[in-house]
Amino acid sequence: MSDVQALPNETAVIPAVHCVDLVKAYGSTSAPVYALRGVTLDIFTGERVALLGKSGSGKSTLLNLLGGIDRPTSGSLEVAGRNLGRMSGRELARFRSATVGMIFQSFNLIPSRTAWENVELPMIFAGRTPGVRRAEARRALEAVGLGERLRHRPSQLSGGEAQRVAVARALVNRPSILLADEPTGNLDSATAREVIDVVTEHVRARSTTFILVTHDEELARTCTDRVIRLKDGELAP
Amino acid sequence: MRFRDILGLALSALWQQKTRTLLTTLGVVFGSFVLAASLSIGQGVQETLERESHRSDRLRRVDVRPKWTGNEADIPAAEVKVKGNMSKEKTERIRKVLLDQKLRFNASGPNKPLTEERLRNLAALDHVRSLVPNTYLFGWAKFNGRTETTSAGSVAPDNARMASRIVVGRFFDRPDEHAVIVNEFLLYRFGIAGDAPEEVLGKTMRLEFRIQAEGFGLGFYLTKPSGNGMTADEAIALDKVRKQLSTSLDKFDLTLAERASLQQAMREQKPRETYVLSEEYPIIGVYRLPVEAETQNRWLDDVDAGVLLPSYTAQGLFFRAPSHAARGLDQAEIFADREENVKEIMQNVRDMGLNAYGMLEFIERERLIFLLIFGAMTCVAGVALLVAALGIANTMLMSVLERTREVGIMKAVGARNGHIQMIFLFEGALIGLLGGAVGLLLGRLAAIPADAWVRSMVSRDLKVDLKESLFVFPPWLMLTVIAFAGIVTTLAAVYPARRAARVNPVTALRHE
Repeated sequence: MSDVQALPNETAVIPAVHCVDLVKAYGSTSAPVYALRGVTLDIFTGERVALLGKSGSGKSTLLNLLGGIDRPTSGSLEVAGRNLGRMSGRELARFRSATVGMIFQSFNLIPSRTAWENVELPMIFAGRTPGVRRAEARRALEAVGLGERLRHRPSQLSGGEAQRVAVARALVNRPSILLADEPTGNLDSATAREVIDVVTEHVRARSTTFILVTHDEELARTCTDRVIRLKDGELAP
Repeated sequence: MRFRDILGLALSALWQQKTRTLLTTLGVVFGSFVLAASLSIGQGVQETLERESHRSDRLRRVDVRPKWTGNEADIPAAEVKVKGNMSKEKTERIRKVLLDQKLRFNASGPNKPLTEERLRNLAALDHVRSLVPNTYLFGWAKFNGRTETTSAGSVAPDNARMASRIVVGRFFDRPDEHAVIVNEFLLYRFGIAGDAPEEVLGKTMRLEFRIQAEGFGLGFYLTKPSGNGMTADEAIALDKVRKQLSTSLDKFDLTLAERASLQQAMREQKPRETYVLSEEYPIIGVYRLPVEAETQNRWLDDVDAGVLLPSYTAQGLFFRAPSHAARGLDQAEIFADREENVKEIMQNVRDMGLNAYGMLEFIERERLIFLLIFGAMTCVAGVALLVAALGIANTMLMSVLERTREVGIMKAVGARNGHIQMIFLFEGALIGLLGGAVGLLLGRLAAIPADAWVRSMVSRDLKVDLKESLFVFPPWLMLTVIAFAGIVTTLAAVYPARRAARVNPVTALRHE
């Protein structure tokens, strides 16, 4: 597999992600710290892309921008045909609920809620009815092999199980784009493989656009169709 | 996001921190308890006042009395002339005091006497349902060949309190009935001592009153250590002595100057004539003396007299004396058609130059005092709730800090700022509603023994048996307590809720 800007085998004309000169800076305007220094890229619908780079290269920042949980400082960012830079807070929230699903390195489950309730959470904010929510959440957990762990809290789950709950949560609203930020970073290799297999199986089955942030070259090569490298906030050649 | 889901998330968050929620709610419970208690007893006392005062016609009653201050125009200027060399301001101050003294002590009669004509004018005022003249005379009663001193008081036929003391015979049917009701103690003095002296019914009693003209002059009085008044013969004899005194001064051991000064004084004051009122009435009833409970709980309806006359009959007797016709009655009672019209009647009476007093004013003053007291108690309750609210705000701010990551997660999966705010506001509201409900319940429970204790004190000290509870909990009061607690705590949650809504999800997700 080529690791720079290669097109997938399936032809997908409409880019799922289209950014032009994307910049993200932190700190004061007089002394900004740039996490992204003008990134321009396209990711097509159904593609599986890995964002590779060392720590501090800006890959998590880019993922946060794509997920709508952060806003760019400048530049254009369109995801699933929506210009995120022009969206209101309300629209961004709806976007996060319905269009993207995010998986985090540290799982980010709410400790006081059961696996079932954690998976229901995105549907609650999407306004789905309780009956539909519970049924969909159960289905999502069964699909990731956790049908027996519905009522367990995160503290009662292993790392792999907790991450699978997070996967179920990310996929329960059937997002068109799945973003994963170092999803196997806190897992041992065997568990990591299990989790990634679950993810890639769902992504393949639904032709979901998949963007994986990782520093693991091997993982990037085996799980994705294309690798985009970042260095110091820019696309690496 | 559905209301039920917000409620569920808020309840879940409160349940997760049970101890903290309990301690926070306790503050609200205390404040709500005090609020419920103060509102309850405030409302209960007001209702009790209304109920007790509505037991009779008291609130519709206006007491009318003439004014007794003298007229400034009648005071010679020389009598209030200020002597000495002093400033204008001091002169005026001294003059005012002199005038005040003269006005107070020079009153020869009421400014606007309650004559029969004035009584008719009062009865004709708007909203006056009835007018009851009050008369009280001192004289003698002649019965069974004996004469005893007595007083005669007027009473309206609808005076239920006095009617309840009839032991033999009946009470008056009409205000102009030609009849008397006799006090059992007067009959006792006449030698009639049985429990139910029915033998007096139908017999006649003669009443005699010697009315001396009003004004200044020489008066002779005989006071006796036994407390009894003069007999008729003693009064007649003293009157004769008074009339002969001016021509008999030479028979006394006086110096020429002393005799001359007395003669001068008696010449300046005209002798006061005496008019004798005498009338015979059939006895239709006997009424008893008041029992102890009635003595300790006297009302204006009570009339203490040896003989009772119906009000218009007494009025007719009273005004037969020429001096009374000019001087008028000391008091009359007006009954308004409705309570709302009492104030208007009182103003009209005062516009006629008379004094007007109403129980309604007294009740309203008492109500105001109670309102102030219970208002203060309610303020204390409000302060308690405010303190609880500050505690809630602090606790919730801590909760926002502790749940930063949780908020970030919720935002990452699609929660809007508004959703986050609503969750925290609901948490505040739930604490208030729960605390309010529990505080109200405790208030209701505590009211049971408290009510029994207060009512026993009122019965023991005031001899009043209250039929209804002093602590009342109408639906509006219960809703107010709970709603107020909920509103206060929700407001306390506003700032923490806004802080939570402003959490940056990126930063929050990194939060440990």
